[in-house]
Parts: sequence; C-alpha cells; structure tokens
Amino acid sequence: MVNTLIDGLKERISKAITINQSVGIMLPSKNYSDLTQALLEYICSRTEDAWVYVTITKPYDNLIKQFGDLSGLENIKFIDCISRAAGISNTNPNCVFIESPTMLENLGLEIINVFKNVDDDTNKYLILDSLSTLVIYNDLEIVTEFFYHLANRTRARNIHSVSLMIEEEGVDSQLNKLIYLNDKILKVRDSFI
Amino acid sequence: MPEEELCVTGMADLDNLLGGGIPVGSTVLVVGSSGSGKTTLCMQYLVNGAQQGERGVFFTITEPLFKLTKNMEGFSFYDKKLIESGMVNLIDLRIISERLGLDTEKYSVEDAAALLDVLKDIADELNVKRLAIDSITALCYRLQSKEMIRDFIFKLGSSLAAMNCTTFLTSEVPPRKFQYSQHGIEEFISDGIIFLGDIERKGDLIRTFQLIKMRGMAHSRTKSAMIISSNNGIELAPLLKS
Repeated sequence: MVNTLIDGLKERISKAITINQSVGIMLPSKNYSDLTQALLEYICSRTEDAWVYVTITKPYDNLIKQFGDLSGLENIKFIDCISRAAGISNTNPNCVFIESPTMLENLGLEIINVFKNVDDDTNKYLILDSLSTLVIYNDLEIVTEFFYHLANRTRARNIHSVSLMIEEEGVDSQLNKLIYLNDKILKVRDSFI
Repeated sequence: MPEEELCVTGMADLDNLLGGGIPVGSTVLVVGSSGSGKTTLCMQYLVNGAQQGERGVFFTITEPLFKLTKNMEGFSFYDKKLIESGMVNLIDLRIISERLGLDTEKYSVEDAAALLDVLKDIADELNVKRLAIDSITALCYRLQSKEMIRDFIFKLGSSLAAMNCTTFLTSEVPPRKFQYSQHGIEEFISDGIIFLGDIERKGDLIRTFQLIKMRGMAHSRTKSAMIISSNNGIELAPLLKS
C-alpha cells in the first residue's frame, strides 16, 4: 500500500513540475513521510537536473540518515534552516546552514547563490519543505512577503519550485492561501492514487 | 559634463545601490554599533581594491593587528598574500602615536597636526587609493574639542581626495540609535554615509544596510538586509518589510 502510494505520488509530482513553474503540494501530516520519500526518490532518479532542497522540518543530518542515497549525489544541495537554531553545529559541504528560520532574507539569498553555480542549460528545481513549518517560526505576513519575493526571483531565473504545506485541523485558512500563490496545487488525499 | 570617476567597491550589491561605485576621493562614514560589520566591510573594500591593483591601508585604533588578522582569516575574500605583498597594509595607529611620542589619551593641536602629517605621508608614499580608519570615533575621543575634530577630518579628507584616495571612516554608535556619530560632526564633513543597523525578528537580530548619503550620486536609500558569510563576505538582500 505504501509503495503504491509513493509510486503514485512520484508520478503526480513528475507530471506537475515538468509542466508548471511552481507547484504547491498540500498534504495531511500523516502522509508527510510518504511524500518526502516520494520526492527524494524522484530527485535521486533525476541526476541530470539541479536541485536545492530547503529543509525547515527536519535537520539535514536526519534527512541523510533516512535517505542515505542522497549524500553521494552532486546534483542536490541542501539548505538547512533549523539545525543551527537547535544547537546542532555540524558542517557539510553539501549543505548550507542558516542560523535561524527567521532569517528569511538570508535563506532567499542562499537559494539564489546555490543556483548561481548551475549552468543555464540545466533544469533547476527548488523544494521548500515546508511553508507551514516556516510559519511556525515567523508571522504569516512576512512568510507571505518572502514567498512572493522568492516566487518572483525563481521565475526570473527559470527555477521550478515545489512548496509543501502540511495541513492540520484547525489551521488558519489564511495559511492555506499562501500555497495558492503557486501555479499548480496538488492535494494529497486518501483518494489521491 | 564629464562622468565622475568611480571607485568600484567590488561588493556587487553595494555597487548596484551606488549606481556603479563611490566617487573617487570621497570620505565615507561607515556607521554602526558593535558587531554590525563595519570592520568586515572596510577590509573587504580594501581587499577587493587590491585585487583590482589599487593599494590600500587599514589603520586600526580599536583592535590589535593580530586579532584583526585572526578574525579576517575566516573569510574567503581575505588573502594573506595581499598583506605580504604590501597591496593591503595594516597599521596600528596606537603604535604610530607612541613612536611620535604623542600622549595616547589626549592629542594637543600640535599632536593632531603631527598625526595628520604621518597619515598623509603614508598614503602618499605608498600611493594608496583606498584607506580605512577603524575607528574615527576612537581617534576623535583623543581630540579635545569639536573644532579640532572638524579640522582633523576636513584636512584628512581634503588631502586624501587630492591623492584620489577614497576613504572609509568607521563611526561607533550605540545599538538601535539612529545617529551617525558620537560627536555629531563626522557626518557633516563626510561625503557619504553608510548606516549598518539591525532589526529584531522573533528575538533574532537581522543585520541591515542603508546608504544614507553619497554626494554626487543618485543612489538608492532603501534599507537592505545584510548578510555576512565566510564564503562571500558581505552580501545584501531586499529587506522584508512585514
């Protein structure tokens, strides 16, 4: 069942991000692990593309422990916004560590800096995991402003983006509106596959 | 009308805000509280200049040289070879004062004149195009009146401008105070003012950068976020306003 779900997710992700510039994925928290697995497996299969994975939900070390195949890939760089704030001081040449998830300008700059090293002919993709976690550390207004800026800057540089939004019961509906800034929305439901 | 010759700082974001660079021969006050990035900005300015073939001098009065170099070694822009080759010269002003036999705490009019002559001679002999004094605040504390401060900075700026040398003077101010100097004089004699501040967001401090004034240039006055990283030194990004 889980494998079928992950395969289904990979297929949907693949179709959505090759057609649209920015894709928002809304998913219930119970499907979060499956979705990140599907995403990361998809990235591993796309070695000819350049990927930047921004993690605000799990520390980089944790992601690597979970998905060991990622550590050897040269086409994916990570930006970790939470390890430093949590007192984890590891360093890794494959990951940029941001001091705090409140430092949104720094995050925006580092995303662009990483893509600067990628040649123009390579397809570029950004994963933002996740918008809902970013709102835990920041006010909604500033995350909205950040996301507008980011969308403009990534579009100008022909970077495709995938933003995750973990839906929780009772979550402010304003928060959900953020995800609608994307060109395409995928809603993960039990009937998804 | 001939175009003004510009001193390209080599910090792309700053040069963009300036419209290309700083008019050559300007005296720019770099204002900020402790930890705002004044020294790093000045050092990156000098190193970038040296890489373009412009010799620079950094006069420190607030920090011993060994501490300064140790702090700078963490930045990828810092190139020890530029120091060894004399393209960037680091000089402790307190040692010069001692060698001149000056009272290290208070300068008389004659002491100030002697120090000024030494600074000018060093800049002239080394054919310096970029100079930084860190900090002008500490130097001004030793001058005994506002008139002496005004006279010192004016003469220093004029002499260096005549040598086509573009000068950064750091000015120490208390945190979260929108003032440009301790003595209220430095900003009026300077051609440009760069204000390094910070804003608090959820308890974290975000560094900010604002170009307040630059004579002879139509420049941006927007407040930017300033990021200091070991890889790229100083970078600017649009500050989120919410």
